[in-house]
Formats: sequence, C-alpha cells, structure tokens
Amino acid sequence: MGGSGMRNLERRYRTLLKVLPRWYRRDREEEMVGIFLAERDDDLDLEHSWPGWGETGAVLALAVRTHLAAGAALTSVPSKVARRGEVVRALGMLGLLLGMFYAMNMVVTVVVGLGRPFQSPQPWWRVLELAPVVAFAALLIGWRTLAKVVAAVPLSLVVVSVTATGDPGYVLVWGVFQFPLLVTFVCLCLGFHREAPIPPARRLLWWGGGALLLGVVGGFSGGTGMQTIAVLTLVLRVAVFVRGDGVLGRALSLFALAQLVPLLFVVVPSHSYLMPVGVLAALLAVAAVAPVWRRPKAAPQMG
Amino acid sequence: MSEQTFLVLTALAEEPLHGYAIVQAVEQLSEGRMVLRVGTLYGVLDRLVADGLAERDREEVHQGRLRRYYKLTDSGVRALQAEVARLSANVRAATAVLRGRGVQAWAGRA
Repeated sequence: MGGSGMRNLERRYRTLLKVLPRWYRRDREEEMVGIFLAERDDDLDLEHSWPGWGETGAVLALAVRTHLAAGAALTSVPSKVARRGEVVRALGMLGLLLGMFYAMNMVVTVVVGLGRPFQSPQPWWRVLELAPVVAFAALLIGWRTLAKVVAAVPLSLVVVSVTATGDPGYVLVWGVFQFPLLVTFVCLCLGFHREAPIPPARRLLWWGGGALLLGVVGGFSGGTGMQTIAVLTLVLRVAVFVRGDGVLGRALSLFALAQLVPLLFVVVPSHSYLMPVGVLAALLAVAAVAPVWRRPKAAPQMG
Repeated sequence: MSEQTFLVLTALAEEPLHGYAIVQAVEQLSEGRMVLRVGTLYGVLDRLVADGLAERDREEVHQGRLRRYYKLTDSGVRALQAEVARLSANVRAATAVLRGRGVQAWAGRA
C-alpha cells in the first residue's frame, strides 16, 4: 500500500497516523486507512479534504493510550512500552504526593500562625493548595477526570496570579519553581487515560498518609520542605533499587531531575544559600543518575 | 460499561463484522446519535480484545484495502447479557416511577 496512486487525503491521514507507535501502526495502519477512506470516492474530497479535528483528536487520544499503554489494556504491547506507561503513572502519583506534602505544610503554617495575632493573615485562596489531597482521593476511587481537574486548580491559580503581575522575569522564576509540579501534572493527565488501571488503593493510602505526616512535620520545622523532599527522594531511590523495582526507580529518577531544575536555574545563579543548596542539588543529582535496573545475577557456572 | 462499548458489543452480537461495518452498525443502532471515529473505534476494540470479550476473525482485501473482521467471544456474549439485564432493570424501575406519577415512560417522537 501507499504507492504513487495515493491521494492527498490518504497521505494526510497516514501522516496523522505517524503519531501512533510503530508497533501499533505495523498491525493497524492499513485497516485504519481502509475504514477512514471507506465509501469516500469523490475526487474533490479525496484531493482537498483533511482528516478533520474530530478524527485528529481521536487518533491523538489513541496515541497517548498506546504510547503509555497499560499492559492489560492491549494485547501484544511491547514490555518496554508497558513499562513506560507505568513510569509515567508513577511519576504523576509522586507529583500528587509532593502536592499533599506541601498542602499539609501550608495547613500547619496557617494553624500555627493563628496563635500569632500580629502575623499577617493568609490569603483565602491558599485553601486551594489542598487540591492535591482531593485529587489523590479521587484517583484512588477511580474518578480520573475529577482528579485531573482538581489537580490543575493550584497550578492554574499560580499561572493566573503570576501572569497578572506582568513581569516576565517574575513569571519565569515562578515557572521554573513550579516545574516539578507541572511535569508531574502532565504525567498525571497523560498516564491516567481511560484504559489505565485504577491505582491500588490500599498500598497508596500508606504512601498518602506518609506524605501528609511528613507535611505536618515539615510544617513545624518551617522552611525545610526542599531538604526533606531531596533526602527522602534519595532514600526511596536506594530502597527501591535494593528491592529491584525498576519502574518506581525510573519514576523517582525523573522526579529528582524535575526537582533539580528550580535549584539549578534559580537558586544557584542567585548565589543565595549556595552551600545547603549545593548539597541538595548533589543529593538529587545522585538520585537522578544512579542506576535504575539491577543487573541479573550471573548463573553459577557448572563444572 | 460505556455506551460505545455496549453498542460495539451489540453490533458484533449478530455476526462478525469488519471495522467500517461496526462504525455503520453503531450509528444505526444509536439512531445516528453516535458516530465512532476510527481512533475511538480502535480504542474500544483493543480493550474488548484484551478483555477477551471479542477476538479477531478472518481478514479480507476489499478494493485493495485490508478488512479485518471481529467476532464476539462467549465471554463477550455473557458480558452483553449481563449489561442488558442491568439496563433493563433500570428501565423497569424508571418506568414504574414515571407510571406512578401518571407520566408515559416512552415519549413519542414528533
């Protein structure tokens, strides 16, 4: 198929299908083209039409589901692809846990601040920082769309409030600081597609509880959030490596890399707190680049 | 079970169909309400095949284009039966409630 007699519409549709992974196209492309062009025999249509927004959206959604496939949702998914999907979902989950940590931090800060009448009151919109807790609960119940919408609330609020200042430098600094949350939010949206499995609630409740507890502790120790996250990321990274969980290991590695961005692009150039920031950056760098997969032990040689 | 999945299963319940025939059958079954895009159809078919509710049947070449047929498995028939029973129970309950209010359950078309 695909010879010189190909019409423009077919060529355009095949170009659109290139967003699908090669292993999927190998199996499906001819079949999909056949359905798309069925009963379309008008010369004008075949020469000048385009696939259309609806079809483009459907193919893009299919591309997300196949590139980040859940092993159980498709037959003959290459293991590498299934692993990629699991890593992206784990990274999205880590982002929610990070948001929960900061949410509890905020709650403790506000509650402690209530006992100090001369301290300036917290703005009302800080309550929206609790959104990751709601999103986490929604995801465990299986309400994926609600989880994504709620998780977007604090980010969109930051975007609106920062862009309202109109200062490009300020916008850039905030953008870089929000980078880890932004990355994990994108992973949440892409990874938890319609075909993705609902995360195991019982196991993740422990993780969620841990994040909230750490957030409380972090809130009382004031301003140590980044240190706690960096140290915890490295500790988890080592534990996961020892356990041989390559998927979570890769997710933590990318998580550490995302955390490095604000440190390297904002804090280090400003030369403020260079020493502790340097240590944090080093911890995160180790977590980011350390090996993920354990080499299988060589079989004992016989004789 | 989503409405798309339900309609695709219903379409396949009668006989094995190729992709374009499924699109047409779904449009007909839904009285034109649902027109499946190709990308959407394959999302549904992939899920059905992975869940063991449908499987690939034969392949044909029609006017130089590949046509792959899909058919319902026994599990697919049972899943469709269960869904029909669930929906029927809902319809019966809603009909009884409407009848109690003195309202006709099936609104006629204009």
